[in-house]
Amino acid sequence: MATAEVSNTRTLKVKRFKPSEDPKKTYLTEEKGLWSWLTTVDHKKIGLMYLGSVTLFFLLGGVLALLLRTELLTPAKTFIEADTYNQFFTLHGAIMVFFVLVPSIPAALGNFILPMQLGAKDVAFPRLNLASFYIYVIGAIFTFFALVNNGLDTGWTFYTPYSIESNSSVIWVTLGAFILGFSSILTGTNFITTIHKMRAPGITWGKLPLNIWALYATSIIQVLATPVLAITLLLLTMERVFGIGIFDPAMGGDPVLFQHFFWFYSHPAVYIMIVPGFGIISEVITTFSKKHIFGYWAIALSSLAIAFIGFLVWGHHMFTSGQSAVATTVFSFLTFLVGIPTGIKILNWVATLYKGSIEMKTPMIYVFIFLFLFSIGGFTGIMLGSLAADIHLHDTYYVVAHFHYVMMGGTLIALLAGLHFWWPKMTGKMYNEFQAKIGAALIFIGFNMTFLPQFIMGSQGMPRRYYNYIDQFTIFHQTSTIGSYILGVGFLLIAYYLLVSLFRGEKAPANPWGSRGLEWQATSPPDLHNFDHTPVIINGPYDYHKPMEEFQLGLADSGHNGHDPSHDATGAKQEVVSN
Amino acid sequence: MSGQNHEHHHHVSTAGQLWAIATGLIILTIVTVVVAKFVPIPAPFDVVAAISIALVKAFLVAAFFMNLYWDTKFNAMLLIMGVAFFLLMVLITLLDTMFRNDIVPSF
Amino acid sequence: MANHSTSHPTHVQHHFVDSDQQFDSAKLGMWVFLVNEILFFGGLFCAYIVYRAWHPELFTQAATELNAFWGAVNTVVLIGSSLTVAMAIRSVQKNQIKGLKINLLITIALAVVFMVVKGFEYAHKFELGILPGELYTYEGIEHAQAAIFFSIYYMMTGIHALHVIIGIGLMWWIYVRANRGEFSSEYYTPVEITGLYWHLVDLIWIFLFPLLYLIE
Ligand code: HEM
Ligand SMILES: [Cu+2]
Repeated sequence: MATAEVSNTRTLKVKRFKPSEDPKKTYLTEEKGLWSWLTTVDHKKIGLMYLGSVTLFFLLGGVLALLLRTELLTPAKTFIEADTYNQFFTLHGAIMVFFVLVPSIPAALGNFILPMQLGAKDVAFPRLNLASFYIYVIGAIFTFFALVNNGLDTGWTFYTPYSIESNSSVIWVTLGAFILGFSSILTGTNFITTIHKMRAPGITWGKLPLNIWALYATSIIQVLATPVLAITLLLLTMERVFGIGIFDPAMGGDPVLFQHFFWFYSHPAVYIMIVPGFGIISEVITTFSKKHIFGYWAIALSSLAIAFIGFLVWGHHMFTSGQSAVATTVFSFLTFLVGIPTGIKILNWVATLYKGSIEMKTPMIYVFIFLFLFSIGGFTGIMLGSLAADIHLHDTYYVVAHFHYVMMGGTLIALLAGLHFWWPKMTGKMYNEFQAKIGAALIFIGFNMTFLPQFIMGSQGMPRRYYNYIDQFTIFHQTSTIGSYILGVGFLLIAYYLLVSLFRGEKAPANPWGSRGLEWQATSPPDLHNFDHTPVIINGPYDYHKPMEEFQLGLADSGHNGHDPSHDATGAKQEVVSN
Repeated sequence: MSGQNHEHHHHVSTAGQLWAIATGLIILTIVTVVVAKFVPIPAPFDVVAAISIALVKAFLVAAFFMNLYWDTKFNAMLLIMGVAFFLLMVLITLLDTMFRNDIVPSF
Repeated sequence: MANHSTSHPTHVQHHFVDSDQQFDSAKLGMWVFLVNEILFFGGLFCAYIVYRAWHPELFTQAATELNAFWGAVNTVVLIGSSLTVAMAIRSVQKNQIKGLKINLLITIALAVVFMVVKGFEYAHKFELGILPGELYTYEGIEHAQAAIFFSIYYMMTGIHALHVIIGIGLMWWIYVRANRGEFSSEYYTPVEITGLYWHLVDLIWIFLFPLLYLIE
């Protein structure tokens, strides 16, 4: 077996490889030019290309969101028609879910970091990785086509029978999302294989960074759930082309069955979005507490538990759809269960902070924002999971606030934490810490201003997906709209200082945060093959009580990569017993 | 680990084994047809019989054509996991579709 | 498990340590992909089960329109092709490249036979007006949801047939590469994983056949 699960004891000759602070060759300098980017199989460049595309889509989705909020500034029509409003919220939702949140952490940050945290040169299937990026691009083109051609007005959930009848470009978007699904499946397949087969010597399952555990759980969900979305969207497409009738009540079909199929993917998909965020939080919180993570196995296994239970709760989106009372009750019960592993995680993170030496750097600030916002999002989810309450709250702004607290307050904030955490590693540049803190503050204030009022008006009966409202809700809607502008400014500021850092930023040291993670033992930015030695791991990734030297080991006889080691090998030769 | 000694974990089936499995599969196909067409089994159990035979056939293909019998257990576990999640999807969906009450009777 | 090696044969990609790691990774990746396929078809099987549980009488009536004889023939054809794929892998494991190529060609031939039989079945139904969904015009079955049964039938067999066609393409690609002398007992990863794919196509059919054709 070519993995680290060897049971026999082997002795490896290792020596210390201290990462150079001034690398001569990096993945950015070694293969240059547009063409080398477009045809690269390097997981780091592919990760960055994903990051760029995700950012573009986020911008598009964000502009749509601001337009929606602006329309809601006054109770009656403000500046767009009701139909246009329908199209905008549909595209906003579809873009943010399928094109931003699902690929954001795994395909962008994960692609960059995962092989480095495993001490591998690349993912298991680099060409498949590149293919997944282009499949994403093709899916995007389909969606763009819908955008300019009739739009889409079904809501991101494509519920039948309206999606069968709608005159908008449903097929273009369903095919776009169908294609996108394959890109997600390929990433998941690649990650599972890489985690199993490509770990550097000494990385046992118990020494896997929690980010890897999170990506592992995510990949499992991607592989198990995405194909069901694919077949669902294909059936919907056939429904529109041939009128196959399976979901069409006019032909004796059953529209609720469509909802089952859709949510069998889409509830697990919310975990595809949030679980990788959990991984980032675990990494950042230990680094800036300088302390071993509390409850390593609890956090690692709760990711898998979430992945599993997440498959059993989809019907909580269908409490008012007419599904049977038996199913409704069972789904409500299972929904409560999903809160348990999530709660375990939050408790362990907070316990990690206890007596740590906490350093309030920007990534850590985002972690605190995450803990605050995500907890609100999670608790309101539990409330929605209780049947009686949901009958009242379903399809109101309460649900809108809930999922924005988890998706934006959770996933997107975690993404920002990870982006700021790994930015020096990815680009070799430091951003302006002060501006970053202002940015975080704007995001926090703007976010709560936008979405807290939505809980209140939702519980008072403001339905979602309407372009006008009664006067009673004016104050909430206006606060919300102003909050969204502050959010917008916050994101622009972040984009500004990150871009500036690329050109005028200070040079980043190899390990600016003093992390024990393996990815920080490469140069900033890393070498084309990540490390130019074969890393050997003897300590866990969170062993902050052990000296840094013990984290910088590699096989003594490395240097076979086809290029000379540019790092100074310092320190005496040591012998390490692995396993 | 040296990469040279392949034989130690790539299983090579004998031609006889493969032919035996294929013959078994064809016999089972005939049995399914005969049972379905000529043996009167009351309603739900005819499906049970057909699926049971199909499961045996699937086991033969997976274990001996796809080499799971000799492969690492993890690959077999993947297959079982895929089937298990499929069953979850079906069973929970049936929990709804089999127990709906007509809100408007005779609709 | 080590991340280095001294001898790197040409077929081993740079990021793998040795060909064992490459082979095991490819195989694991393929199994993960097959799990995908199971859930992809799983959606259709789920729709089938839900509708069959709702309208058992429809399924009994409608199945009489399907020809169990030709279904059985196709089952045997696919089993045969599974055998020849397994034989192809055995040949390459024993370094018998000629055997590999012959077995691949037989497999392709059997797959084509399968498609031809399917084609005749489809053509016959089209003539009767048994088309999916709204296009359905057949009057032989008196049931409000008859069209839906055939929608499910066409989706299931259609997507399965699509997999067969993709399989023919893959098999041809393996054959071309074998012709170029790319495979040996040292390196036959693509043959192995294409084989796994083909067996899965067979596995799906093993369930489709009794579920669609053998309902009495
Ligand atoms: C403790 C965990 C959670 C629970 C118990 C929970 C519960 C619920 C419930 C019951 C609903 C349905 C409300 C309704 O439509 O009436 C809902 C909606 C939603 N949730 Fe959650 N949720 C949780 C976490 C999450 C997470 C982590 C995300 C995403 C990252 C998320 C995203 C969503 C979305 C997008 C919707 C609305 C879908 C739509 O109708 O468009 N939830 N949640
Ligand atoms: Cu949900």
